[in-house]
Amino acid sequence: MNALLLVGSPKGRKSASCLLGSILAEGMRKHGAMVSEEFVHEGLRSEDGIARLLDSVDAADLVIFAFPLYIDSLPAPLTRLLERIAERRARIAPAGSPRLAVVVQCGFPEAHQCGTAVGICRLFADRTGMRWAGALAMGMGGSVGGDLKKLPGGGKNILEAIGMASESLANGGAIPEAATAMFAKPLMPRWMYTLIGNFGWRMQLRKNKARRPLTYRPHSQG
Amino acid sequence: MKALVLDGSREGDALTAVAVLGMTSALAGRVDVVELVKPRELAIAPCAGCFGCWTRTPGECVIKDDARDVVGSYVGSDLVVYVTPVTFGGYSSELKKLLDRIILSVLDPRFTVVGGEVHHRLRYRRFPKTVGFGTLPSPDPEAERLFAGLVARNGINAHQRFDVEILAGVTDPVSARRSAERLLDRAGVSA
Ligand SMILES: Cc1cc2nc3c(=O)[nH]c(=O)nc-3n(C[C@H](O)[C@H](O)[C@H](O)COP(=O)(O)O)c2cc1C
Repeated sequence: MNALLLVGSPKGRKSASCLLGSILAEGMRKHGAMVSEEFVHEGLRSEDGIARLLDSVDAADLVIFAFPLYIDSLPAPLTRLLERIAERRARIAPAGSPRLAVVVQCGFPEAHQCGTAVGICRLFADRTGMRWAGALAMGMGGSVGGDLKKLPGGGKNILEAIGMASESLANGGAIPEAATAMFAKPLMPRWMYTLIGNFGWRMQLRKNKARRPLTYRPHSQG
Repeated sequence: MKALVLDGSREGDALTAVAVLGMTSALAGRVDVVELVKPRELAIAPCAGCFGCWTRTPGECVIKDDARDVVGSYVGSDLVVYVTPVTFGGYSSELKKLLDRIILSVLDPRFTVVGGEVHHRLRYRRFPKTVGFGTLPSPDPEAERLFAGLVARNGINAHQRFDVEILAGVTDPVSARRSAERLLDRAGVSA
């Protein structure tokens, strides 16, 4: 089984998307799958890069999009790739029908805020002759980074959910509903996440020696 | 009153061109100024996800290109119209690359609760009224439902209701204008 992990965060290797996607990929490799990784933003910088991305999608039995929620949907470059894949698959009748699975996380605490983005990916699969293989969606993405074991509860729900998903995907199945539900469980109480977040923005501002307050309005509204 | 129309059409997209025509002619009778921005013709780098517009130069993106200039226009408008081909239920990549670069600049990073969910505060006193005007080659209930859901969710992020209208298989500017009028009526944009 030949799988392709497409990381859709502009932060590349430093992103929460890449971290979660890589854990999934590692789990799949343990179950005998071959998984390669590509970064969408990098690939889209040149026509050669796009061609390479499109070729690797064509060659895959399973494509996994790992991305952050941007404005309730997909980041622009990933959207661009969807358009390009659809164009290619409409032009040259594709030999196979790869499966598509999704790992998405968002900055707000509620996992359900990723729902529209998951719907977009699912419709894309449906319209391009790919087969839907489920999604893992979570909120509180702002706290995902570095060592997941340091998260409250040791990141147990995330790791267990990805474990279940990777086994099933590697064996030709879809992401089990139980994995989706477990992945969506909040990492911490909502008040705690927002408290840490609000504090974090101010800390960042200070660290960056910003010369404006957080609430600065550079434009007038007449 | 000023309206900003964001034309998210892709190269060779005649349907969205008709929608833009219908919308601008409907607006002409209702607002004083219509500004048309076509991201496809602008130099816009994708959002780098760095949050510099919150924690380095609050309210302004750290990338200096055409997208940064649109923010002032966005903030100074009373109405913003997203015109876009409905792309698997979402926005086109052309519209999205611009929106990704605008949105955080008009929000205040601090969290607040809207409709029972966590969202951000708004940076400016007034957030422009926003409507979504999507195009499809033919009726497509699933894509239409997703698109309406996306526009509505974007509205929650802006603490208001965003109205939406979809033009499915409409190729004549007169019908496009009629739909645009309907959308503007619903959104309460009157002369
Ligand atoms: C332009 C932009 C738009 C975003 N829009 C949303 C959003 O609509 N809802 C949300 O919950 N988070 C949103 N976020 C937050 C990201 O989803 C969140 O920070 C995520 O953890 C980033 O993941 P990454 O490290 O993989 O890039 C947005 C971030 C950016 C930069």
